[in-house]
Amino acid sequence: MRDLVLLVVLGVVFGFLYWVLVQAWTALSIAMGPAGDLAQHVLFGGWLLVAPLAVAILRRPGVGILAELLAAVIEVVFLGSPVGPLLLIAGFLQGLGSELPFALGRYRSFGWVRFAVSGLLGASLVFFWSAFRFGWYGQDLLLLRFGIQALSGVLLGGLVAKVIVDALLRTGVLASFPIAAASRSAASAGSTAPGGGAGDPDLVRRER
Amino acid sequence: MSASFLGACNPAVKLAVLTLCSAGVLFLTDPAVLAALCAALLLAVVLAGRVPPRDLARAMVPFLAFGVGTLLVNALARPGTLLWPDLPVRVTAEGVRIGAMLALRTLVIGTTAVVFAATTPPQRLLTSLVEHARVPPRVAFALLAGHRMLQTLPEQWTTIRRAHAVRAPLRRDGRARFGPREYARCAFALLVTSIRAGERVAFALESRGLADGPRTIWRPTSLGVRDVALVGVVLGALGVAIGLS
Repeated sequence: MRDLVLLVVLGVVFGFLYWVLVQAWTALSIAMGPAGDLAQHVLFGGWLLVAPLAVAILRRPGVGILAELLAAVIEVVFLGSPVGPLLLIAGFLQGLGSELPFALGRYRSFGWVRFAVSGLLGASLVFFWSAFRFGWYGQDLLLLRFGIQALSGVLLGGLVAKVIVDALLRTGVLASFPIAAASRSAASAGSTAPGGGAGDPDLVRRER
Repeated sequence: MSASFLGACNPAVKLAVLTLCSAGVLFLTDPAVLAALCAALLLAVVLAGRVPPRDLARAMVPFLAFGVGTLLVNALARPGTLLWPDLPVRVTAEGVRIGAMLALRTLVIGTTAVVFAATTPPQRLLTSLVEHARVPPRVAFALLAGHRMLQTLPEQWTTIRRAHAVRAPLRRDGRARFGPREYARCAFALLVTSIRAGERVAFALESRGLADGPRTIWRPTSLGVRDVALVGVVLGALGVAIGLS
């Protein structure tokens, strides 16, 4: 139950933060007219954040997909997303793409490269779906769109997730979740500083 | 709210119809048919959903903006027959047609999403999903807790922003700066406090026995003639539209 609530909380908070960001963004994108349609790809990676966060914190199979699905439900039901229920399909694809690299590492390795690949896969898998949905095939811009979106996936949806996870671990709020246990055991394997706890910045550095 | 026809329908049925609609619209390619469908839908929303036209109009603004953007991009970025060869930019007939189609699809799906959100209280929806769609109660309770949390977030956001503004560098007019750095800081603070709160919420839910096991339902939702009528009308309209295009 605690894990489930954590997933929902992640979805809710990021949904809200995104909404705040969008408030500021909408005016700009309306002003940009057709370029606003392209600009959506720049921020795209932000939608992916929840999945790698969830996987890194809970370290269990399926968590990334579940997190994205719940986030999609929150957007559709509570925030009234314009995309409608089809967002669930997009959420599933995003979760699947983001979780794949971690699954291949059997939920044990969480390095920078793995986060980057996670963002890349998450962004690319869903790209083909949205390209079908919004009729991007046959536009001259297709490759440009894909490039921007993939880059945004790597940066925002991959590397930023790693930064956030490390920062969260340092605050100690994750002390009762699997990620803290993993970092503790990694620390005791190094046989220095027994009982340092998740708040110890040394452990965080070693965690990588 | 529940005085309207749509407000009294079963939420799970409404969600299913909504899903069906947004999937069915993908098969429609004729902009004229889509425009007609959109008009009929707007009328139905005002009559059967009792959504005040002003609220509806306000909710439609983002979809309109998105639709116009899609239309323009497609008109300019798609190869095909030229509409106005004299113009310096290329505007193609194919581009305009596809752009109009996509923009109208957005409007149709957007309208259904708006009316769904306006006529469905989340509590009723989750009750109905547990009852009729076999959603695990754990998930439903977690989502409801999340819904409550979402309602308090704007307040927390202002609190955190004010706290941060105390030390923030000032702009020339004397107000605190709020750029991307400040946004990131406040966002992180919000994330940390919410995770803490989430842990307490989970503990509270579990200690009240709201996690697992057999349970009864408080204020069950009903399935009735109304829901059959809703499904029938919507399916009929979609069928006619698909047949025409």
